[in-house]
Amino acid sequence: MFKQVLFAQWLSSRLALALLSVLAFALPLVSVFYGSDIATVGRGSLGEWLVVTDRVAQVLPFFAVLVGALLGVLAWTYDIAGRHVYALSLPVPRAVFVALRFGAGTVLALVPSAALAAGAAVASLAVQLPPGVRAYPLELSVRFTLATLTVYAIIFALASASRRGQLAIIGAISAAILLDLGLLAFGASFSVTAETLNALTTWPGPLSILVGRWALFDV
Amino acid sequence: MTEFAIQTQDLQYRPGPGFEIRDLSLRVREGAIYGFLGPNGAGKTTTIQLLLGLRRAQGGSMRILGREAPRELPRILSATGYVPERPHLYTYLTVAQAIRYHGAFYERFDWAYAEDLRRGFQLPQGASISRLSKGEVGKLLILLVLAQRPDLLVLDEPTDGLDPVVRRDVLTALLDFCAQRAATVFISSHLVHELERICDWIGVMDRGRLTAELPMHAFKNGIKRIRLAHAPSLVGDTPFTLVSRESSGLDVVWVVRGWQPPMVQWFQGVGAEILEVVDLDLEEGFVELLRGARSAQAI
Repeated sequence: MFKQVLFAQWLSSRLALALLSVLAFALPLVSVFYGSDIATVGRGSLGEWLVVTDRVAQVLPFFAVLVGALLGVLAWTYDIAGRHVYALSLPVPRAVFVALRFGAGTVLALVPSAALAAGAAVASLAVQLPPGVRAYPLELSVRFTLATLTVYAIIFALASASRRGQLAIIGAISAAILLDLGLLAFGASFSVTAETLNALTTWPGPLSILVGRWALFDV
Repeated sequence: MTEFAIQTQDLQYRPGPGFEIRDLSLRVREGAIYGFLGPNGAGKTTTIQLLLGLRRAQGGSMRILGREAPRELPRILSATGYVPERPHLYTYLTVAQAIRYHGAFYERFDWAYAEDLRRGFQLPQGASISRLSKGEVGKLLILLVLAQRPDLLVLDEPTDGLDPVVRRDVLTALLDFCAQRAATVFISSHLVHELERICDWIGVMDRGRLTAELPMHAFKNGIKRIRLAHAPSLVGDTPFTLVSRESSGLDVVWVVRGWQPPMVQWFQGVGAEILEVVDLDLEEGFVELLRGARSAQAI
């Protein structure tokens, strides 16, 4: 059963997956675009090179969000189009079907992660690093995988929610923004949206994986 | 096993103002081919969706294949084949992939029978569902549910929009299956003559209510248009159900349900004279039944 769900989900998202995987493989390689023999360059050039690699690394959390969000949405696209009639008429409890879909999406999310790991490994092997500079392909790949899966899980849950549930979430966000505007009008320094975002992106918030340093090369 | 494949009691469902399913009590006998008739917007599809757990009833109870719904829904669905009003398959799959996907969810799925049906229906294995014609999609849906080897088939307008040749193929496959397995079929359709040919029970739905539920022979033979002279203006207890009555010149035309020849005596007893008794076919009977039910509601 899982094999068939995985296969069907793969078929529906294979083009997006192929494109994302190529990008995931290419992004770490961009870090070494400026040259492979870094060990021989001067201190100034090394600093410049590290800044460039850092800029590339800053793209990665956004890329993880893109991969996770896209796979989360694609997991349900065809069921939403069919108003979930096919899924609901199958002889499995709803929770089991959701678990099958989630599991299949999780496996598929590992494909771009594997591509990124491969790209990071190739990039790390392609350069001769000077003393004091290290490559972190494994750490970066694990971080990317966790970030992708976190975003995937959130978007998957939102996409599978009932329309009433989705409206409730949109309503809550709108209410928070309106409350902030009200607080701003009264000169208050407190912001509900900012505090919520802070709570989500600071450990142990679920999105804390997206912030912090994402570096393939570092001292 | 129980006597009824589908049994609902006082089912209630109100999705919003303007429409509701009210006090719906259906009884579909095991092994019956039950035709579910009704005009557009009568609540046929909604009823089917309630039976299969696609919508949650707000009151009443349901037992399907002897099991309580929706509590035992997965077990019910494992023995139920469902063809929805609009095709629900994933259109990016090919015919072969759709069969493999669907079959993976059913323990009793008969792969050899599915292949036989596929060949019989001339469905190309590698063709994407998105490129199939409407008729081919209809055949594929029937193939999938028949290969499940279900005890109950719930078909919501399965032949709607299909050409006569495809319709005949689909109905032939359905009847062959029923002959082999004695499965119960619950089929909704606008095509009254089609149901007349295959059904042995009939239920008529209108405005969210079950207007009539009776064996097909009783429906076909029991609905008459009777032209009367000196018809009584007030009708008390009758041995039949008076569906409608209207004046036609000096005469009065009654449409009655549950008619039997000995009931002539009742008319003699009230001083009426029967001028003519006309048999109605299913479509005429259906129309008269709806007209009668609506005028009764209006009163």
